Amino acid sequence: MRILLVEDTHDVGEAIARRFEATGHAVDWETNGRDAAEIIDFTEYALIILDVMLPGMDGFEILKRIRKSGNAVPVLVLTARSEIDDRVGALDLGADDYLVKPFDFRELEARARVLMRRHTGGEATNLIKCGDIAVDRGTRSVHVGKREVQLKRRELTLLEVLVARPGRVFSKDELLDQIFGFDEAANANAIELYIGRLRKKLEGAKAHIVTVRGLGYQLVPGDAP
Amino acid sequence: MRPEALQHGPSLFGRLARRISFVLFIGAALLVSAAWYYAETAANKAYDRLLVGAALQMAESLSVEDGILTARLPTSAFELLGLADRDRIFYRVIDTHGQTLTGYDDLKTPTPLERAQDPLSVEEGVYKGEPVRIAHATRILADPAVSGRAYVIVAQTNEARLALTRELTLRATILVFIMSLLAFAGAMLAIRYALQPVEQLGTEVRGRDPHDLTPVTVDVPRELDPFVSSINHFMGRLNERVDLLQRFIADAAHQIRTPLTALTAQIDLLGTGKLDKAGRQHFNRVKERTSELSRLTNQLLSHAMVIHRADSVQLEPISLVDVARRAYRVAIPVTVDPDIVISFEAPDDRPFVLGDAVSLREAIVNVIDNALRHGTDQRLEVRVRASGTQAFVEVEDDGPGIPPESWEKATQRFATSKSHEGSSGLGFAIAQEVANAHGGTLGFRARDEKGFTVVLTLPLYKGEVK
Repeated sequence: MRILLVEDTHDVGEAIARRFEATGHAVDWETNGRDAAEIIDFTEYALIILDVMLPGMDGFEILKRIRKSGNAVPVLVLTARSEIDDRVGALDLGADDYLVKPFDFRELEARARVLMRRHTGGEATNLIKCGDIAVDRGTRSVHVGKREVQLKRRELTLLEVLVARPGRVFSKDELLDQIFGFDEAANANAIELYIGRLRKKLEGAKAHIVTVRGLGYQLVPGDAP
Repeated sequence: MRPEALQHGPSLFGRLARRISFVLFIGAALLVSAAWYYAETAANKAYDRLLVGAALQMAESLSVEDGILTARLPTSAFELLGLADRDRIFYRVIDTHGQTLTGYDDLKTPTPLERAQDPLSVEEGVYKGEPVRIAHATRILADPAVSGRAYVIVAQTNEARLALTRELTLRATILVFIMSLLAFAGAMLAIRYALQPVEQLGTEVRGRDPHDLTPVTVDVPRELDPFVSSINHFMGRLNERVDLLQRFIADAAHQIRTPLTALTAQIDLLGTGKLDKAGRQHFNRVKERTSELSRLTNQLLSHAMVIHRADSVQLEPISLVDVARRAYRVAIPVTVDPDIVISFEAPDDRPFVLGDAVSLREAIVNVIDNALRHGTDQRLEVRVRASGTQAFVEVEDDGPGIPPESWEKATQRFATSKSHEGSSGLGFAIAQEVANAHGGTLGFRARDEKGFTVVLTLPLYKGEVK
C-alpha cells in the first residue's frame, strides 16, 4: 500500500521508510511541509505519517487542511512537542493516532497497520453481539459486559468469525483460512493457541467458546436465553 | 500560593476611624469646656445685674430723717432677687460710721469697703460656709446731719446661677454631641467611599483567571496608581517567566527528542544481522539504554509539563472515562505481549471531574505504563468508577505489587523498589503531582488474591455539564 511519510529528520525518515518498504509498502517521503500538502491534494494514500515540526508548513496545519478538504485518509502524527500549552491535541484536529518521539519503531509499524486495516475494512454494520460479548468492527473493540477487552489482531479476527455465526461449529481448517489467508503458512496448533488466548481474555463472559471434539469450535451465548 | 500566611495589619478603615474619632473627641471636649465657661459667664452676668440692681435700689432707699439715717428697704428689690427662687439672700446696710444699720452684722465684702475703688462691685465670696456672690453699692450722703459714705451689701447663694450654667452647658453639650456624631458618620461614609477603589481593585485582582497575566485595568484614584502599576509590573514579570519556562520546556522537548528519535532510528537501521554474539549483546544493551533514556526524557518533560500546567491551566469539567480511555489507548502498545489480558471497564453514568485533560491523561498513562512495565504478569485491568463524591481510576495488575512499607517511597521521584526491576522513575511522582493539583490523591491497595491496585482518586464534579 502507498504511504506518505512527512518527516524532516533524515535518520528518522530513513528508518521509517526502510521499515515500511521492507514489509512491501510503497513510501513517498517528503521533508517539506508545503510540498507534502500539495502532494496530498492530488495523490491518494492508504496512510499518512506526519511529523509536527516541519519546514514550510506545520504538521497540524497540514492535518487541518486534509480534514477540511474532506479527505478521510488515516493520519498518524509523530510529535516531539511537549503539550505544555497545547489546548488542542493531534486527536482533536482529526489525527487517527499519534506517537510521541522517541518511539519504538515496531510500535509505529503495528499502529500503522491497525490504521490501514481499519480504513480499508470499514463495514456498514459495525456492532455484532453474542450473549454478553459485543464486537465493534468499526473501532475494533471488544466488550465483555461493561468491560472493554484488548484483543490482538488475529484474536479479534477469530472472535469476529465466531461471533458472526453463534452456535455454528467451525473446523480448524476453516478458521485457519479465515484468519491467516492462503499466503501465510500456519498449522492447526496456531488455532489452538489463539483459541486459548481468546478464552483467557473472555474470561468472565457468559458467552464462551466450546470445543466440539473432532469437529472444531463454536461460540455459545451462555446460560442467558 | 494561598494568602493564608499574610499578616493582617490594622485595617485602613479602622485606623482612619480611630484617628478621626480621637480628634472629634478632643474637639468635643474643648467645645464643652468652652460652653461651660461661657454659660457660667452668662449666668453670672445675668444674676449679677439683678444683684447689683437690688443693691442700688436698696442704696437709693436710704434717707435721712430727722438727722438719722434710715433704711426703708423697698419690696421691689427683694422681688427682683426673688426671681432666683431657690437662693437665699443676705444683706447688710452700713451707715456712715461703719455701723450696721440693718441686716446681717457679719456680712462683709471680700475686699474691705474702705479700699474699694468703685462705688459698685460684684465679687465671689463665702458666707456662712456657703459660696455666694456679694455685691455692694455706695451711697454718698451730703446731709448736714449725716454726711459720708453709706454702704449696702447684698449676697446671694449660687444655686440659680449654677442651675442656669448647667442647663446652658447641657444644651450646648447636646448640640456638640449631635454635631460630633454627624461629623463622625460623615467621615466614616467619606472614608468608605474613598476606600472603595481599594476594595474594587482587590476584587478585580482576586477574581482574575489565574492565567490571565495581562495588566489590571481598573479605574483607580491617582493615589492608588503606584500600587496598581506595581501589580502590573509584577504580573508582567510573572508572565515573562511563565512564557520563558513554557518556551524552555517546549524547546527542550523538541531539541532532545529529535536527536533521540534519530538515535533510535539509527539503532533500528543497524539491525542485528551482521553482528557476532558479543556484538549483539552490546547492541542490545545500547538498545535498552536508549529506550530507558527515551522513557526518562519523556517522563522528565511530562513532569515539567504537569507542574507547569497545574499552575497555569484552568480546570474544566471533563469526562473521566474519555480521558482514561484515551490514556489507556496511548499507554498500551499495540505490540504488547499477546498473552497479557488487558481490559478497560467504565461505568454507565459518565463521571465528570473538574480537571485538565492533558495532565490527567499523562497521570493515567504513567500509572498504566508503570503497571505494564513493573507489575503485570498476565493481567492488567483499568477501571473507572464513581461512588459518593469521588471518582476513581483504578489500575490493577497481577504482579507482585509494592509492599505497603514502600508506598510512600514509591511516589517520590526516582524511587527504586526492591521488588521491581529497575526504577519506576517519575511515573508515580507525575501521577501524584496531577492528583494533588486536582484535589485528589494517588493511593495503593494492598495486594489481594486478584492483584495489586493503584488508585487515582478525584473529587467528582457535581455541576452542570455542557
